[in-house]
Amino acid sequence: MLVLRPVPPYCKPDRRRDRPANPPIVAARPLQSGNAAANCLIMNTTTTPSTVESKSPSLAVRIGRLSLANPTMTASGTCGYADEYADFSDLSRLGAFVTKSISKLPRKGNESYRVIETRAGMLNAIGLANIGLERFISEKVPRLARMGVPVIVNVPGWCTEDYADVAERFDREIPVVAGIELNVSCPNVKNGLSFGTDPVRLAELVAAVRKRVHRCTLIVKLSPNVADVAVTARAAVEAGADALSLVNTFTAMVVDVEKGRPMLANGTGGLSGPAIKPIAVYMVHRVYSQVAKAHGIPIIGMGGIQTWKDAVEFLLAGATGIAVGTALFVDPASPQKIFDGLTAYLARKGKSSVQDIIGTLNTDSP
Amino acid sequence: MASLNYSAPSTSHAPRCRGEFAAVVIGNHRLCRDHYRLVLRLENFPPSHPGQFVEILAPLQAMDSDSHEIEWDFGRPRPPLRDQFLAADLPYLRRPFSIAGRRDGPGMAYTDIDIIHRVVGKATGILEHQRPGDKLSILGPLGNGFRVSERVKNALLVGGGVGIPPMIYLAEKLARRGMNVVAFAGAQSRDLVSLTLRPDFAVPADLLPVMAAAEFSAFGVPVVLATDDGTLGFHGYVTAALDAYLRCHAELRSEQTVVYCCGPTPMMRSTSVVAGKFDLSCQVSLEQPMACGMGTCQSCVIKYRPADAADWVYKLTCTDGPVFDSRDIIWP
Repeated sequence: MLVLRPVPPYCKPDRRRDRPANPPIVAARPLQSGNAAANCLIMNTTTTPSTVESKSPSLAVRIGRLSLANPTMTASGTCGYADEYADFSDLSRLGAFVTKSISKLPRKGNESYRVIETRAGMLNAIGLANIGLERFISEKVPRLARMGVPVIVNVPGWCTEDYADVAERFDREIPVVAGIELNVSCPNVKNGLSFGTDPVRLAELVAAVRKRVHRCTLIVKLSPNVADVAVTARAAVEAGADALSLVNTFTAMVVDVEKGRPMLANGTGGLSGPAIKPIAVYMVHRVYSQVAKAHGIPIIGMGGIQTWKDAVEFLLAGATGIAVGTALFVDPASPQKIFDGLTAYLARKGKSSVQDIIGTLNTDSP
Repeated sequence: MASLNYSAPSTSHAPRCRGEFAAVVIGNHRLCRDHYRLVLRLENFPPSHPGQFVEILAPLQAMDSDSHEIEWDFGRPRPPLRDQFLAADLPYLRRPFSIAGRRDGPGMAYTDIDIIHRVVGKATGILEHQRPGDKLSILGPLGNGFRVSERVKNALLVGGGVGIPPMIYLAEKLARRGMNVVAFAGAQSRDLVSLTLRPDFAVPADLLPVMAAAEFSAFGVPVVLATDDGTLGFHGYVTAALDAYLRCHAELRSEQTVVYCCGPTPMMRSTSVVAGKFDLSCQVSLEQPMACGMGTCQSCVIKYRPADAADWVYKLTCTDGPVFDSRDIIWP
């Protein structure tokens, strides 16, 4: 995993090898007819971001009804309510901001320990600790409105009404909230996974929420803790989801060998970080090729993304948006670095738009 | 249906009160068997207070556009690589460390901060091998420092193990204000005392505070040293030393005395019991496993119940603390 290489003089002075000193000028061109992903995403739009004449590639994407200036997003639960990172990161450069889970009532969360580091990642069992819907609206929404990027609220629940009530409230009353991400996949609360692992219950839930959400883009965050993520993905899409987020964390455990007990007070936790990235990329590709591509449903890919290369892997595999999660704890400015690296990559590859690479993974045997 | 109407993002250019900074290692001194003092030089580091902390990224965690790649100039020798850096089991998250001291250069051109740490695992194992000129990324200053009231005349600083470093920074601040300060420093044994012992001072086994530790005597603060096994100074826990000292010094048992404490959780709990016994106010700097230090991961929780509150709530050690009034804590 450690790569060592001397840098030849012609690569200097720019340290980032994928950002040429003078980015090649890429002529604007119409969308290729063969690019199904891009066509699906552009179909219902009034503007076509990729035809903007510019030296710099366009990073604009659409997720349902949301126009994003670029694909970078935050992953729910790793970025608080936004004000926490204000001193460390330019949040206005994000494509969209995803809040931590906001439940109908405030939640204290689990006992300590709530996190433990693992090799190339970490386990968490926070237990959806949050200030609740009312305080969120009165205290946090004004700040989110000033941020200048589309806001997506993550909504957990314990029954269909929980989800639908909170989602409807945002949809009807809080204009700054442009998207609802249904958290049907939290592994750290009792029955948190039950909606996310049963395709029948999931379809009922999504259909019920869909009836009450008209303005906001409805996103379903899928659990990886299933035998085939394409099954739950299909259930969510057919029930009316506008977009899919995947993956949430993997249920996992770390043992304290001295005490003979799990390290986390909750027993199990959710594994995140670079350790899960290859599995997440695979799952995004599976859902893209089996479900999302045919239905024209965009995917927000996440799971261990911390560099632009990680992000490009997800984009090639079929993700339209990419969310940075655990890496924010280490470097709150990593989405901006990913933006820069992605721009340079597209320029180097002669692409005028990020949409030209979405889902273009070539899986033919060489 | 209301329409979407974003206001322009705020473009404030006020000086940052915290942020990410590139630090250059100026010194790395071994203090005892397991403890090191790392001196880091930073530019434009914001004002900080004793009790605040920083989050350090051990260098091979460095996350630029290509993680875990090392580059060097063509034609020049490959930089030395140490075996443990090549092992797959690298730390992933940053690690929190309290600030043990701060010196600002002329005209605030630069700031040197001291970090004293004990080598206990992967990240501190990497920090142990830092050399002058090496670079580290730090986030900070984070959290809230110790509160100092104008009324207070006497301060008792109680540090245990890696809880001693913030007491050094606090001793400087309090001594400059002309307060009567006595430090209590505890360790498991003599070879784990993370202080520079002055050869010109013998460490007494009784409770007489002496100028035996250079870090404290630099600010005119005497110290009572205690070791669990009696190999240096008072034989017993540092909390027992505090208890015995307060029994002998009735003049300190007043509203003008505050106990400041940092160390392992059982030691802080026991210090708060001692302080309560003598009816003294006590501030503790807590530590909990944390992933971010910025208030987002919600993992470093402690149970908090002020005297007038009906029920306890969780508070975050990183942004609500790390310093709390010991009476408000429900100890685990």
